[in-house]
Amino acid sequence: MIYRYDGTFAGFLSAAARAREPGARPEAITDREPEQQGLFTAVVEVPTDRDRAEELYALIRRTLSPGALQTLRHAFHAGDPGREILIFRYLMLGLATGRDFDAMLAHPEVIPVWKLARAVGREAHRYKGLVRFRHLEGDVWYAALEPDHRILPLIAPHFAARFADQRWIIHDPRRGEAVVFDPARREWAETPLEATGPLPLSAGEELFRNLWQRYFERLAIAERRNPKLQRQNLPLKHRRHLPEFGET
Amino acid sequence: MPELTLAEKLEILADGAKYDVSCASSGSSRRNRDGIGNAAQCGICHSWTADGRCVSLLKILLTNACIYDCAYCVNRRSNDTRRVILTPPEVAELTIGFYRRNAIEGLFLSTGVVKTPDHTMELLIEATRLLREEHRFNGYIHVKVVPGADLLLVERLGRLADRVSINMELPTREGLQLLAPDKSREAIVAPMRRVGELIVQTKEERKVSRKIPPFAPAGQSTQLIVGAAGESDLQIVTLAAGLYGRLAMKRVYYSAFIPVNRDERLPAVVGTPPLVREHRLYQADWLMRYYGFAAGELLNEERPNLDLSLDPKAGWALRNLHLFPVEVNRADYETLLRVPGIGVRSAQRIVRARRGGHLSLDDLPKLGVVMKRARYFVTARGRFAADLAPDAAGLRARLLEKTPARPRWNQPSLFEGGAAGIDLRSAITGEL
Repeated sequence: MIYRYDGTFAGFLSAAARAREPGARPEAITDREPEQQGLFTAVVEVPTDRDRAEELYALIRRTLSPGALQTLRHAFHAGDPGREILIFRYLMLGLATGRDFDAMLAHPEVIPVWKLARAVGREAHRYKGLVRFRHLEGDVWYAALEPDHRILPLIAPHFAARFADQRWIIHDPRRGEAVVFDPARREWAETPLEATGPLPLSAGEELFRNLWQRYFERLAIAERRNPKLQRQNLPLKHRRHLPEFGET
Repeated sequence: MPELTLAEKLEILADGAKYDVSCASSGSSRRNRDGIGNAAQCGICHSWTADGRCVSLLKILLTNACIYDCAYCVNRRSNDTRRVILTPPEVAELTIGFYRRNAIEGLFLSTGVVKTPDHTMELLIEATRLLREEHRFNGYIHVKVVPGADLLLVERLGRLADRVSINMELPTREGLQLLAPDKSREAIVAPMRRVGELIVQTKEERKVSRKIPPFAPAGQSTQLIVGAAGESDLQIVTLAAGLYGRLAMKRVYYSAFIPVNRDERLPAVVGTPPLVREHRLYQADWLMRYYGFAAGELLNEERPNLDLSLDPKAGWALRNLHLFPVEVNRADYETLLRVPGIGVRSAQRIVRARRGGHLSLDDLPKLGVVMKRARYFVTARGRFAADLAPDAAGLRARLLEKTPARPRWNQPSLFEGGAAGIDLRSAITGEL
């Protein structure tokens, strides 16, 4: 049985609630178009059911430790297709074992979810540094990034606290998603946003881009030159939107 | 001479500051109070330069003019370089401009000494004050304390900054006298001691009242140049242990000596700087701060220098084979930490995981243990994973074996493998 949901966390919980009903045999939970499922696998569309989702979430919070819950939530943000069924099995094991769950670090149903969560957490932390705002006409600060995982909602609180007086947008053009911050209400929100053409920069922006590029060039110590280490710390895929690497 | 543009000034002042290796933006959790910025407890890197070092703070000099003539320093008086100075408002505006673009975590402000140490300190204080008070900036600020400055100025600076540092640079008194004749050891140690006192005292006071402003909440740090004055690793490590213990030092940085000046007092360096030695010193430093090792366990008078081909923890284990193998299901946390191939995180995970049941050898790599090294030093449920009974000579050879190079298309990960041999990639930053 394949359960299809709408991609939201509440939707996932609704699907999970269905998948743990007695007699259910979930093979996958997904928000994608099913492409190559077995010939005899039925697909069930699960509409998001807020009440059921909340009921299950309350049970999770009663049973799982805060650390295990955070692992689950982070893993849910992973970009990997197929994450949901892993998280589902993790969740089932957690609900079944309760207080003993936290010690099951080497369990085959814990490890893959823990690895997903770790990858998501690391990428979110990394992008706290790699998000680069450009000041646009109309006093808007805009940053584009193309992360592997859906980390925008995970990093938004960090930027909301730090740049509380800036109107900023963090945009994932590949997924067509953005978080937008309103300094007047001090709130951020997720919104769909498609990629557009070149953005109109503010008057002072070129000056600062130039200053930063020239400063950055000078910082490396020639005697210690080590591009391999640089690539290890900052893989090429992360440089696309950094002005110091000549992003467009 | 023609007036320089801001970009040209910035280039010159970055050039003068880059040899200071401190880059941390961690240890402070200053909140954003109705302004801009905050500090992240864990620190955040924003970019990496061509030498592989991270960029976290805007690292610049206020000025590269200096009244001193230290042999090793790129900004010394007798060097024929263009001297420039930024005004405190310029420093503040550059910081805010880069910060709003999220290019930096904050400011690292160092300086040459102009006129007098006190005058220079007042300029540093003014730049920092402008950021905190006029720009309402709550991001990370690391400022240098000028050796020989009035201790009251040191206190004012520390109330505004997240971290302060005074570079000792030369680990021995003789080295200092030879290479930095204008600076006395006392002029360096006195403000360090005062900073240490104020950090400890303010922490106590803030337990009673949070209204007392913090003093350098991310602590103080210093830097030692490695390989400029013929000092031994034992001297360096013992000094570092003293700094951590007695002066409440948060970090000691080690900087492989790079000859930026021609000077007959300096050693002739051919080829690359002593990066591997620097790397081993960082490893020893980590062992003291996070793994419970004492300086005397790593080095002594008979062996005053670290083994360049083997990491100091493995070296210690080889000298103490009578303590191994340890049983991972019973050994306490402190003992686990001393096993080569087990780090802080894997030790914590072992302790947590074994509450749920006995661990087997197969479980260990899943918990993050590097079996390549650990296999010779642990048992699990009484079973030993290696084919080799621990004997020092044979083991040493095994631990020195290089891992075969990974295929090129494989993105190397910081957390995989970890060669027992010399890993030059991580040798450069001291990141472990």
